Amino acid sequence: METLNELLGGFATAMTWQNLLFAFLGCLLGTIIGVLPGVGPVAGVALLIPLTLNLDPAGSIIMLCAIFYGTQYGGTITSVLLNTPGEASSAITTIDGYAMTKMGRAGAALTLAAVGSFIGGTIATVGLVAAAKPLGEMGLLVGPPEFFALMVVGISLLVALAGKSMVKALISGALGLLISMVGIDPVAGAPRFTFGIDNLMDGVSFVAVIVGVFGLSEILSFRRNEPTPVVHAPGFRQLFPSRTEWRRSAPAMARGTGVGFGLGLIPGMTGSVSSLLSYATEKRFSRFRHELGKGAVEGVAGPETANNAHANAALIPLFTLGIPASPTIAVLMGAFLQQGLTPGPSLFTDHSEIAWAIIASLFIGNVLLLLLNVPLVGLWTSILRVPTPILTAVILVFMVIGAYTINFSVFDVYVMIGFGLLGLALRNLDIPLAPMVLTLVLGPLMERSLRESLEISQGDFTVFTSRPISAVLIGIGLLIICSPLLKLRKPKALMEDPEA
Amino acid sequence: MTTESVTTKTGSTIRVARGVLAGIGAVAAVGIYVLVSSVSLGLWTSLGPGAGLFPFAMGALLVAMSAIWLLQELRRPSAKGEGVDKGVVISIVASLVILAAVMDLLGFQLSMFAFLLYHLKIRGRRAWVPSLIIALAGSVGAFYAFNYGLNVALPVSAFTPLNLIGL
Amino acid sequence: MSRKKIFAAVAAASLLALTGCGANAGASNSGAAAGDFPKKGKSIDLIVAFSSGGAVDTAARLIQPVLEKELGTNVEVINKPGAGGQIGYTALTGAKPDGYTIGATGSPSVVVSPLDPARGAKYTRDSFQPLGRQVIDPTVIAVQPDSPYKSLKELLEAVKAKPKSLTASTTGIQTGEHFALAQIQESTGSEFAPVHFSEGASQATTAFLGKHVDVLVANVSDVNDLSKQGKARVLGVMSGDRAPSLPEIPTFKESGYDLTAGTARGYSAPAGLPADVARKLEAAIEKAIEDPAVVQKMKDLGLQTSYLNGTDYQQFWAGQEDDFKKVLPLVQKKD
Repeated sequence: METLNELLGGFATAMTWQNLLFAFLGCLLGTIIGVLPGVGPVAGVALLIPLTLNLDPAGSIIMLCAIFYGTQYGGTITSVLLNTPGEASSAITTIDGYAMTKMGRAGAALTLAAVGSFIGGTIATVGLVAAAKPLGEMGLLVGPPEFFALMVVGISLLVALAGKSMVKALISGALGLLISMVGIDPVAGAPRFTFGIDNLMDGVSFVAVIVGVFGLSEILSFRRNEPTPVVHAPGFRQLFPSRTEWRRSAPAMARGTGVGFGLGLIPGMTGSVSSLLSYATEKRFSRFRHELGKGAVEGVAGPETANNAHANAALIPLFTLGIPASPTIAVLMGAFLQQGLTPGPSLFTDHSEIAWAIIASLFIGNVLLLLLNVPLVGLWTSILRVPTPILTAVILVFMVIGAYTINFSVFDVYVMIGFGLLGLALRNLDIPLAPMVLTLVLGPLMERSLRESLEISQGDFTVFTSRPISAVLIGIGLLIICSPLLKLRKPKALMEDPEA
Repeated sequence: MTTESVTTKTGSTIRVARGVLAGIGAVAAVGIYVLVSSVSLGLWTSLGPGAGLFPFAMGALLVAMSAIWLLQELRRPSAKGEGVDKGVVISIVASLVILAAVMDLLGFQLSMFAFLLYHLKIRGRRAWVPSLIIALAGSVGAFYAFNYGLNVALPVSAFTPLNLIGL
Repeated sequence: MSRKKIFAAVAAASLLALTGCGANAGASNSGAAAGDFPKKGKSIDLIVAFSSGGAVDTAARLIQPVLEKELGTNVEVINKPGAGGQIGYTALTGAKPDGYTIGATGSPSVVVSPLDPARGAKYTRDSFQPLGRQVIDPTVIAVQPDSPYKSLKELLEAVKAKPKSLTASTTGIQTGEHFALAQIQESTGSEFAPVHFSEGASQATTAFLGKHVDVLVANVSDVNDLSKQGKARVLGVMSGDRAPSLPEIPTFKESGYDLTAGTARGYSAPAGLPADVARKLEAAIEKAIEDPAVVQKMKDLGLQTSYLNGTDYQQFWAGQEDDFKKVLPLVQKKD
């Protein structure tokens, strides 16, 4: 009951016209980012953080969350119409989605994907509401050692799942941690790795790093003279699925919600894993499994529901434990921190109003996206027709402005350029970028909890194994890291994860 | 997974790509640098865990991982990557560096206008009209949108005659 | 559609989006004050060097609306926690002295951090221009409600018999709490094991509530509520007189230990402010600190407002520097 009251209070805050506007703008920008090739959700959210710095915390986070799940919707559009996924988590949708386009059912595919996303997203948010309170109350059990152990689990999952080589994933993770250490030591105050540069005393700007590593490096790896795709927006009447299509989609959506919600809760799982697994589930259990691959609605409705359920469910560990489950969420967490909000159990005690307003806005955002997406499909497709040079130029403008405005200093523009080159090098060396973002955000928290733990134990490293909760967590982390030695095979769906 | 290849003893006959070697070297070098400098930051002080403790662990990790990576590459070199379009990289990076260098002097609008024209007209080979429209929108338009819409001040020129006319 | 039209649509949409965000940011600005400063629509950043939820943050957020009214522009509280305040102070003193960046400053953290060369602080006392002191918040010492120690004496004797047997929180190395612990150790021989929660009091309190540290060393305003809710047993206040909000808690002196400690909080700007800007800010801050509603809210937190103007605050600061220089070796690393 109390939860319901707080949620209603959240709705009251989220329904003010400013916050509605932010949610709307976030959905709009998110969809655009989802549609645009070259700017993924990670760089997209990071790029827009500077725009929201002047807003109040609730409005800013509402907008960034909307951008985040908006990208999931947007990614579908290119998958279905162009056979190229806008986001990795929609990659699997290309198979049946594009087949449906060739059959002239593109409109129906998009509508079903949007409805499925709405259902998955909304149900996952209900889960967040239900989980917030009990998990938040468990928060006090999480002392520094437990917190450290939690982060070890989160990072080791991502390291184990990202890419083909754990060695490279670990390198990426360690680099992220080292970048986060530049600046004044958050505990003792000594400057570290600043090379005597004043601008680095404050640390390397998180936004500039992410925009560089994820956004600029992507643009740098574009090739010249890539042809501008030819797309046709489906007509309005095409948008309505037939009764059979609805009937066939419903079970797929239900399964997709289950898969996405379950996997979303696990740190380290990306949305792509959910959509891949959902597709696999359909292949196995759907009555029409023989049609999959030839334009079956299940192949669109299932994965699209799953990746949105996943995106919303992934906010649960962030809100209740302070653990970002995926790179995009890590960026979102960075935005929280910049607004003076620490995600985790204390969020509901210190800033309960804002927390509930954000949760309420997730419901609103899912409705908005449903309303925005289907009717505006013509607008989205016209974005796809913008030639690459123009797109590149416009995106570069935003990157420069974004990097500059963090501290109003050209220095951060140079930082962005430098990290763009680093990102390009890492891509070419096949080093996954995902672990780096995660550790970049978690680094300071991790270091602090490590040092606080050692102060509590007065230098005894067994503090992590002598306390039951952290012992279990550390054990899980070790098991994950050692899994290749134990010759545990990754599930096939994970091996194909295109996001890794 | 990558760590289970014990049987293939092709070793020295296979050449590791030069780029990969450079990458491994760079990672190892960063690791060593971090190891050395973290020792001087202090691993443990009378006040408890020192500023160098965590970096030290990371430096050690980097060095260890670069060693394993090298072994893996010697055993089974990775397939060659796609490589990059050097022209694209150079033109974008150079134009960005120049833009950043002159932005505080010429102001956001002039420098961004020139930057956009370069990318649209010279590199992108767009027609004059759309190039000019987009360059204006991205420079002057963005400047006003940010300054007056968002309260975010983008730099104006440092030269008096220019900044007097609002550039 | 032609390319131009498409581009126009995209550009229009993005510009609309941008101005949309801005419309709100600018909407709440009331009319500009006379003179140049502060410019209408340009917001003033108020940097808090500790995380949100702590006493410094709360006080800053209390005066923020009054400051906005007095200055006629937006005032944004920005938390830059870390290194016991040093990260926020670095940001404050590194900002342009144009009046658009001010910060909450608390001693001893702001006084001491530049004194210890090991911290490599980029600022000194002269890097700040004090604008006004708000309050002195005495240090208190509290234990878990189920702890066997019922009085300060029992606690200190037990720790003296078994040094480092209990952990005690601070808000960072060389902050007020760390000094208090060092003073206790110096004069009574009771040595606690300090745990430095360098982001501020809210982290320390959370860890205490979760029973991850045994002893909470904090300020009156931090434990006021906890004590009333029975979540902490406050054993002593380190001030000359009992705290008005905790009348039943004896001072250290009453328990036989002649020790006082606390943190003094105020607001400062980076040094080099133009005189008229400084005057305007000082006057606004005085108004805000002395505002009856703010004073009452501080009282509810357990704090007695004790305003000092910029010049007096500066003098007070200098005095603190002399005092803390003497005790600094107690909290410096030895190696």
